[in-house]
Amino acid sequence: MPNRLRLRGEEGRAYWSMVLPAFSIYLLVMAFPIVLSIVLSVSNYDGGKMFGGDPWGFAGFKAYARVFSDPLFWNALKNNAYIVLMSVFGQLPLGFIFAYIIYRKLVKWPGFWQGVLYVPNIISVIVVGLLWQTIFSPNGPIAEVMNSIARAGFQSRLEAILAGVGSLDISDDHVRKILDLAGPAALEWFTDPVPELKELIQSYSGAPMQELLNDLCNLFVQRWSPEFLSKSNVAMLPILFVLLWMYTGMYLILFLANMQKIDAQIIEAARIDGASEWQVMRCIILPSLSGTIVNSAILAISGSLSSFSLIFAMTGGGPSRVTEILSIYMYNNAFLGRPNLPLANAISLIMVVISFFLIVLTKLAEKRYGGKED
Amino acid sequence: MKKSIAAILLIALAVSGGFAQDKVTLTVMNYQQADQAGYPEDVKIWQDFQAANPDITLNIEVLFNDPYHQKLQAYAAAGTMPDVFYVWPGARSAVVHEKRLAKDLNQLLGAAYLKDFSAAATNPANQLGKYMAMLPQSYTYTSVMYVNKKLLEDNGFKLPKTYADLKKMVPKLKAKGVSVAMLPNKDAWPMQSCLFSTVVGRMAGDSFLDAVLAGKAKFTDKEFVASLQVIADLYKDGIFSREDVQIGYGEAAGMFASGKAAIYIDGDWRVGAYITDKASGKALIAPAAQESDFVLLPFPSIPGEKNRGVVSAVAGTGWAVSSSLPAGSAKEKAATRLIKYLYSPEVQAIRFGTGAYVPTRKGVKADVEPLVAKVPVFYADNAKTCYVVDGVLDPAVYNVINDGLIAIGLGTKAPAQVAAETQKAYESWLASK
Repeated sequence: MPNRLRLRGEEGRAYWSMVLPAFSIYLLVMAFPIVLSIVLSVSNYDGGKMFGGDPWGFAGFKAYARVFSDPLFWNALKNNAYIVLMSVFGQLPLGFIFAYIIYRKLVKWPGFWQGVLYVPNIISVIVVGLLWQTIFSPNGPIAEVMNSIARAGFQSRLEAILAGVGSLDISDDHVRKILDLAGPAALEWFTDPVPELKELIQSYSGAPMQELLNDLCNLFVQRWSPEFLSKSNVAMLPILFVLLWMYTGMYLILFLANMQKIDAQIIEAARIDGASEWQVMRCIILPSLSGTIVNSAILAISGSLSSFSLIFAMTGGGPSRVTEILSIYMYNNAFLGRPNLPLANAISLIMVVISFFLIVLTKLAEKRYGGKED
Repeated sequence: MKKSIAAILLIALAVSGGFAQDKVTLTVMNYQQADQAGYPEDVKIWQDFQAANPDITLNIEVLFNDPYHQKLQAYAAAGTMPDVFYVWPGARSAVVHEKRLAKDLNQLLGAAYLKDFSAAATNPANQLGKYMAMLPQSYTYTSVMYVNKKLLEDNGFKLPKTYADLKKMVPKLKAKGVSVAMLPNKDAWPMQSCLFSTVVGRMAGDSFLDAVLAGKAKFTDKEFVASLQVIADLYKDGIFSREDVQIGYGEAAGMFASGKAAIYIDGDWRVGAYITDKASGKALIAPAAQESDFVLLPFPSIPGEKNRGVVSAVAGTGWAVSSSLPAGSAKEKAATRLIKYLYSPEVQAIRFGTGAYVPTRKGVKADVEPLVAKVPVFYADNAKTCYVVDGVLDPAVYNVINDGLIAIGLGTKAPAQVAAETQKAYESWLASK
């Protein structure tokens, strides 16, 4: 009996001597910050020396109440939901389809397509953000194309109004037609629109007609970009498109690697037995990959909730915070101006809870509908 | 004999020990952007101090923009503030003022030293903590109209004196593809800091903001709504282009210099962007053109304004010494020597020359380019100043104003709606205190 006890004591010492260093590092690096984050979120800490400075204490759930009562939080949450939906129902299916096409060699040069689709993933996120920000900017190529189209349309209608009329002999009626064409916003630029525009047009007497047309287009053609990006229901579209463009390749690689693990003979046998391509995908490949799909979905969900850099580089959450997501909401509210660590930690813990909830939901979905890998 | 040699050696040792100075190491946090004009001069300023003071070792950390503030906040949380650091007089460096993390420079530098600085710079009332946590290097006017006089004259216009003058320019300049005025507002703060503060000063006055803070007025009162309406009108009347809310702060100076707008609205500090960069020898606006074609003006008079001609201004940034340095210690003496060097006429003249600011130190002379020389003249011509909104309100409130001004620019929110949101944010902030 004493021998057994001594043995157990030695085992315990050996166990702790091996586990304790790693466990201490875990406590210090992982557990302590998590606990501190929870504590800070319900504290009244307001800057200064955290330990040993002015005392700070429990403030209740003030920070959480502030977050939940803020409409901008719900807007950021909605935008995050868009990103999660885009990731789970956009990047994943698309990545799967591309992987399947490449795996089954349904296109020529599968290696080339694999590379092309994966390239956006290896470019720096900040570079991608700035690149697409330029593309979607008011002076970017999309705006230029849209403005050129609008300008061409406006100019042809203007030419129709001014056909056979010189700038000197323009009538009030012509001017009114031009103002109608320009729209109500343009009326605000004049104190007395008709005589003022008439005077402006008459000042072009002697100048080529094209110069007048050009300048009237400058004056009246509405620019494309700001109107489009300011509407909260569509402002996220460019960002969602870029996210789809950037990350689909990553899931393609994940799915492709796992497809290559499937025994080719099973697929061959199915094809010999008369299974169609759709049946092969539905009955063999999809069930075999259900674990991978779930893991990818978890990656997509957690990545979507914590994403920051791409949107920060593209829009910074603007204009007027319509493209803000939770992480940018946290940054803007908690770190810009006077830092507010209780608020920052409350927001980040809310993000963690949402993330857990979605991951549990995904696991339940796998249990209900998924097959077994291996 | 042996005894006398030993005695001489002992005396020599004592004397040399008495004169030998221990080397002091100072940690410094410098606020600087490496790709900005004036950076090489800044590097030289520190090198010169180091060369002239071999008994002091400087351990300098250089950061810029939000990373600077976040790092300073982290140092404050850890209780390891640097010995000398760069500070804002208001809410941007709230933790320094409220937790008294900086020494009172009034006591450290003394009245005799501070008499060489302007009264506005040495007035503790201009700082959040109501004590002299830092010494403002400048007194900054945050709202200046940079006017391309030549472009206006080429199109038959005189310098604008009233809002109506600005509006009159719209059709003709827009037809030429030129914006009347440009204020890039993608970064949210420029409209509030560089124009809206002046508009509030004109339409409502500092007394209104004081009354709000004292609970005797509300942001939903007609004066504040009228101020927001002025900004809405600037967009509606075509003086500002709605695209400006999509333009980043850094992009606009080049656009103005290339003639995309007749007027550019920014703080006085922006002159530095237009003058010759010593490293490349290039200037956005050549010195000759700065002299003949460009002028600095206040925003024109606005219909319904109460306080004619006031312009928003605030004490500028400056240096602080950590309050953790023991009084009378070698470190405190070294930090004081460094601070006095940084505020010396020589260093301030270099800063003035790079267009960084007009120093609060009196009598600083420098060989400056014409646009920089126009800044002190602007100060003299516009002596009446008003609050900068983000200098008196908490970020929880002024960030809502900043976002609201973007929404007004985009035409997605009405002034009354932004005013109501501001009041709500203010009440929430009060409740959270």
